[in-house]
Amino acid sequence: MSSPRLHARARALVSAFEADAPPPEPFDAFACDLARHQAAHIEGFARLCRARGVDPATLARAEDIPPVPTDAFKLTRVATFDPAETAITFRTSGTTVGARGEHVMRDVGTYEAASLAFGRHWLARDLPERVPVVVLGPSPAEAPDSSLAHMCETFAKAFGAPASAAETYLIDGDGVLDLATFDERVAIALAKNQPILVLGTSFAFVHFIDGLGKDTFHLPRGSRVMQTGGYKGRSREVPAAVLRADLARAFGLDRRAIVAEYGMTELSSQFYERTLFEPAAPLGVYAEPPWTRVVPVDPDTLAPVADGCVGIAKILDLMNVDSAVAILTQDQVRRSGDGFELLGRAPGAVPRGCSIAIEELLGR
Amino acid sequence: MTRSPAERIADVRRLQRAARTVVDDRARLVPALVTSTGLSPEGVELALSRHVEVDASDADLAQLVRHAGDAPRATVVLSANVFVGALRALAMARAASVDVVVRPSRRDPAFAEALVRALAAAGDAAIRLEPALDVASVDVGEIHVYGRDETIADIRARARVRVRGHGSGMGVVWISAAAELTAAARALAEDIVVFDQRGCLSPRIALVHGDEARAAALGEAVHAALERLATLVPRGVLPPDERAAAGRYVATMTYAGRALVGRDHAIAIAPPGAPLVLPPPYRHLHIVPCASLTGARDLLAPLAKAVVTVGSDDLAAARELAPAWARLAALGALQRPPLDGPVDLRADG
Repeated sequence: MSSPRLHARARALVSAFEADAPPPEPFDAFACDLARHQAAHIEGFARLCRARGVDPATLARAEDIPPVPTDAFKLTRVATFDPAETAITFRTSGTTVGARGEHVMRDVGTYEAASLAFGRHWLARDLPERVPVVVLGPSPAEAPDSSLAHMCETFAKAFGAPASAAETYLIDGDGVLDLATFDERVAIALAKNQPILVLGTSFAFVHFIDGLGKDTFHLPRGSRVMQTGGYKGRSREVPAAVLRADLARAFGLDRRAIVAEYGMTELSSQFYERTLFEPAAPLGVYAEPPWTRVVPVDPDTLAPVADGCVGIAKILDLMNVDSAVAILTQDQVRRSGDGFELLGRAPGAVPRGCSIAIEELLGR
Repeated sequence: MTRSPAERIADVRRLQRAARTVVDDRARLVPALVTSTGLSPEGVELALSRHVEVDASDADLAQLVRHAGDAPRATVVLSANVFVGALRALAMARAASVDVVVRPSRRDPAFAEALVRALAAAGDAAIRLEPALDVASVDVGEIHVYGRDETIADIRARARVRVRGHGSGMGVVWISAAAELTAAARALAEDIVVFDQRGCLSPRIALVHGDEARAAALGEAVHAALERLATLVPRGVLPPDERAAAGRYVATMTYAGRALVGRDHAIAIAPPGAPLVLPPPYRHLHIVPCASLTGARDLLAPLAKAVVTVGSDDLAAARELAPAWARLAALGALQRPPLDGPVDLRADG
């Protein structure tokens, strides 16, 4: 099946979700079609299937699709199409030692549709009109290869009241927060009695909190905050519960209005806490869109772990039409109710001897 | 009283003789070492029979003495190294001081303890064991730490005296355009098998001058050599976390390049131009085709700080590739550096 038709099927899943309608086709059937498409066009994936004893032609269950380790995105092109067809390239953040992974797309529309639908569902579905959106992060112009910046731009366009880039993206290339503009936008929103949507990374929020000290920066009633990402050495690290409490205090919001998002460059979909709209939803438990599955697996056997046990996240993402429908992350997760908890990066192997460990090398 | 260099060399030679008695009398020691190291019995035997540094030239020991310096007391903390590394650590300390205190590795104390006992039996009581030593209590001389960065940093933070840290590292190999691949592969496989590749001299990456086909040819030759060696010196038990790391590496390289998986090892051939990745230990080799030595050096640059030794069939080229501090060795000899100082010649603080 051609890539455009697969994209159309993927977007039909999103449209059905937005219409609160049943999915137009079973998850497993589409996942297996994507795996066949990817095996047909990516020799590396075909090799991985062969090595795992999987024949894409006869695949029937999504769980049998061999997951592609996220490291592969650092070493080779994970794509079913020629480089000339690349519409956009998202890159993982780099380290001194670690290479940056690349997720290339030839049709970013599917990514945008999925991001928007699920983002709206957990962040903005109650908003009757466009609201001020501010992003504590760089603009897409400053970070054109950041999938997060692209997603925030998509949200700002879809949910946001008209505003310039300077009024929207409040952290410049040097990481400096434009507090004056933030203050001004909050003041206007307060005057208009409009809620505000704040999107930002954990480390940006830590810098914000640190700058604020004991002061507060109350947002209008109904405002909400999306907080995402790790720290990667760009600020002090703060436990999730502490950051949530600090943000709630600083912004004068209920803790449940601080919504954590989990996403990664190698995916086309994101996950959110349900706390804004479901009073009983536990903090720290992420909802999946119906076009994804997050499966905790044993890091050795890759078999699903028992319910309630911790495993590393194998993620099936039906929006990854032209890259990898199943990926193997290095994040630890645990199923919890109808969502999953995120428990941080899996520790590396315990060093035995004096040969350097990968984690130690990355830490130098 | 200050010892002369000759007296210091004599003290180290006495320690070497003690080591020889330990090696000669190893039958009782091997079961404990199999348990503590996780190596196979054959792996322990290989380490004891071929990698305990019981021989050294006067010139090497003179160099070791110069490296060691002088201290009223040398406290040795053995936290993480290959078990036979205790001899070199004690030799450095004994060269530096007439008063040596050793805190053996909690996980793997047997060889160090046997060495100290053998030395005492030979009449040298200058080295004593203190398994429960608290480094914060050391107020004389210096502390020599062999361990992870984290351990060294922790001890530096708590110590009241100078700390000389010897961290973890790795070996890298350069295969020149002139190398005969089968011979190079056999020698390289021997370097990989020793200590199940858990030493800081163990080669983890092979940079091959040539194209992907040449890298693949080396990979197949190393694969065959390791398969043969596995029957002679099987790998020890692979812990579950290392099995997971190995599985992930193999899956990644199967996707991104090519992986050859053997009974006790895996070899991967990286695609040309891909950034360098570090494979896990326990007999994994990452082979990278390089169009030139300059290209290889650029590729290695992000990992250079971890390189302790560079092995090659062409030592002149290896010198160009290697960081300034790195040892050079012929293929097959990476794990047998002369006893002329610490194996890791990076600044030890």
